[in-house]
Amino acid sequence: MQFELDEDRSLLKQQTRDLLERESGSEAARAVMEQAPEGYDKALHATLAELGYLALALPEEAGGMGAVSLAAVMHEMGRTAFPGPYLDVLLASRALHDAGAEAHGLRDRVVAGEALCVLARRETLDDLSSTELTASCADGRLEATKQLVPFGAHADAVLVETREGLAICERPAAGWEANAQPTLDHAQRFAELRLSGPAQLVAGGDPARGILETVDRLAALSAAAQLLGLSERALELTLAYTAEREAFGVPIASFQALQHRCADMLLQTESARSAVYRAAWALDHEPAAADELVAVAKAWAGPAARSVCGEAIQLHGGVGFTWEYDPHLFFKRANTLEQFHGSTRQQLEAVLQARGL
Amino acid sequence: MDLAFTTEQEAFRRDLKSWLAANLARPWNDEIRNPSHDENSLVEVRRAWQRQLNDAGYLGMGWPAEWGGRGASVVEQAILEEELWRADAPQVPNFLGIDLLGPALIHHGSEEQRRRFIPKMLAADEIWCQGFSEPGSGSDLASLSTRAEPDGEHFRITGQKVWTTFGPWSDWIFVLARTDAEDRYGGITFFLVPIDQPGVEVRSIRQITGESEFGETFFDGALARREHIVGKIGEGWRIAMTVLGYERGVQTMAYPARFEGYLSDVIEGVRRNGTLGRADVREKLARLIVENQVMRSNGLRTLANLAAGESPGPESSIEKIFWSEYAKRQSETALDLLGPQAQLTTEARHARPDMDWAREFLWARAGTIYSGSSEIQRNIIAKRVLRMPTK
Ligand SMILES: Cc1cc2nc3c(=O)[nH]c(=O)nc-3n(C[C@H](O)[C@H](O)[C@H](O)COP(=O)(O)OP(=O)(O)OC[C@H]3O[C@@H](n4cnc5c(N)ncnc54)[C@H](O)[C@@H]3O)c2cc1C
Repeated sequence: MQFELDEDRSLLKQQTRDLLERESGSEAARAVMEQAPEGYDKALHATLAELGYLALALPEEAGGMGAVSLAAVMHEMGRTAFPGPYLDVLLASRALHDAGAEAHGLRDRVVAGEALCVLARRETLDDLSSTELTASCADGRLEATKQLVPFGAHADAVLVETREGLAICERPAAGWEANAQPTLDHAQRFAELRLSGPAQLVAGGDPARGILETVDRLAALSAAAQLLGLSERALELTLAYTAEREAFGVPIASFQALQHRCADMLLQTESARSAVYRAAWALDHEPAAADELVAVAKAWAGPAARSVCGEAIQLHGGVGFTWEYDPHLFFKRANTLEQFHGSTRQQLEAVLQARGL
Repeated sequence: MDLAFTTEQEAFRRDLKSWLAANLARPWNDEIRNPSHDENSLVEVRRAWQRQLNDAGYLGMGWPAEWGGRGASVVEQAILEEELWRADAPQVPNFLGIDLLGPALIHHGSEEQRRRFIPKMLAADEIWCQGFSEPGSGSDLASLSTRAEPDGEHFRITGQKVWTTFGPWSDWIFVLARTDAEDRYGGITFFLVPIDQPGVEVRSIRQITGESEFGETFFDGALARREHIVGKIGEGWRIAMTVLGYERGVQTMAYPARFEGYLSDVIEGVRRNGTLGRADVREKLARLIVENQVMRSNGLRTLANLAAGESPGPESSIEKIFWSEYAKRQSETALDLLGPQAQLTTEARHARPDMDWAREFLWARAGTIYSGSSEIQRNIIAKRVLRMPTK
């Protein structure tokens, strides 16, 4: 038994950290958030493609590296509250791969960083109402209105979930209407897409469901790993700040009330680490347990990150409420990630279903 | 990363399970519901069970063969604890001796002490209790004031210990006593003291559950032989602190196994009362499952680290807080979801057949107090893991 990552994977994790610290520290993340209309650093996206990062969610025989590697990279991305469509692209590339030969042309362009493709699935704005999909793709024509499509306004193509299955819609000159949907996470970009035009159905009915189940698992795991990274970094920021900041003539970190809150932040973060990597390991080695463990990881890591990042703001005091200090970047991402890629509510339900309850 | 048990470890688990199936006559749940039992006869059930385990070589497994062990790895010990809970086996009565004193003797005791005490400890011929806490010294254990004064071949011990678990059934007690009033840590010595003597008196204390599993122990010039000092005079604190560390680690898979068992009673209950479909019930149930799985993930991680030769370290404070706080949340949720039926004690008509929530709900209040309270664990995390400054 060994919990630590093996040599290859810890190297990958370290390389990712070095790259992100160099290219996408909080300064860079802020620049993207405040200035880049497309919401990501195109040059960095190209670098990620060049280094093979965009193939990470593919099966191993197609260039992927398995779930533990995926978790390790996502963990690092969480640590920098990395802005951009990285995860969305990974998920789309996996779906394109699983959809078969017809979709592999677009998959290759996505993995090479030549085309930005994301999944367009959601039609409702909450997770409680369950309605039938209205999007349809018949006779090569797509009619769809999708909500909160990540980076939908800037994508070159979308893979759309329709009643008939999964359809590729490449951005045409007309029939592609994108309405920006800014959220409380100012560093993320979402859009409502109204699509009407030619599209190619690449996976119907049952295959499409299978593909989306795989994607959902990888999405939940990846989000959980990012949430872990967010918590970890938010705690580090808090420890650094409270050690420096003085009140009543002493560092505020010496107050037991704050120490106990930091201890709880550590408990939540370290438990997220155990849960995330165990789930990742199960995806690679213990598939029968993976559904439950992935849902558990996301259902723990989400609320944990929300709480830890919220505490980070509180323990920073007034500066924690400023745009200038970093805690809000983590707090915001934690809150949106908790809602996306299978909200806590949905993951709790998934846990019960995995047990046949 | 590798979270799988090895083939040898799986084989150990298989053998153990078939041994348990063949040798455990009745699950503990049946024993405590048997109206012919009282507190004393239940201790005898536990004593008999300990002897069975010992004869099969399952006690002190991690110790050298010379002392009844088989040099088992921490992973095998953890598997044992996990399967004992799954099988709902009685807890051995000498758990304080085996978990705390045994390792202290192996690591710090004399050859003579090991020969004299370990076999009887394993065979449940001598039951041990732990005399650390005092009325004036709990969390701040080093402030203890029970004193030991030399008297020829003996020391004479005077003072009071309290919350002595299993004291009312014990033959011996291991005691921290002060041999130097000035030196806070270096003035503490670790004594082995027989209880059946004029200078020792144990009185039962009634707990919130109505049971009297612990007591208070009065020493009035009680005799302890010089050769029954563990380590040297003044080494008691250091030994006690390493000994408390042995409490952790091997139990790491036992807690999630135990709470998983309790969970199945909640699931059974909400199924039966037809509320499993309710959204609020589902959410609460799912949260309990999630937390228990996270606890198990923490446990696997600790175990993997221990197996890789790392010591449990202060991170074990996270596990202590996790399981003990979870026990409270779980039993509170059980009472909420199962309704008043879960408040019925075992002898009540229509009590739940598989689970004594009334007792468990009350017992859950103890876990966050003993073995270092949740607050003390948070202090440890802040100081030793997070390195936060003291004023
Ligand atoms: C069921 C049970 C079995 C036990 N069995 C044994 C046994 O066999 N042998 C034995 O020696 N002892 C035993 N104990 C005693 C146990 O170890 C003590 O109760 C424990 O160490 C707490 O000490 P105390 O009771 O004096 O509480 P106190 O130390 O007085 O604590 C009271 C409260 O103050 C808090 N507190 C104390 N110090 C701090 C601090 N520095 N910072 C923040 N909060 C603090 C505590 O967390 C607690 O909430 C047992 C206790 C129980 C409940």
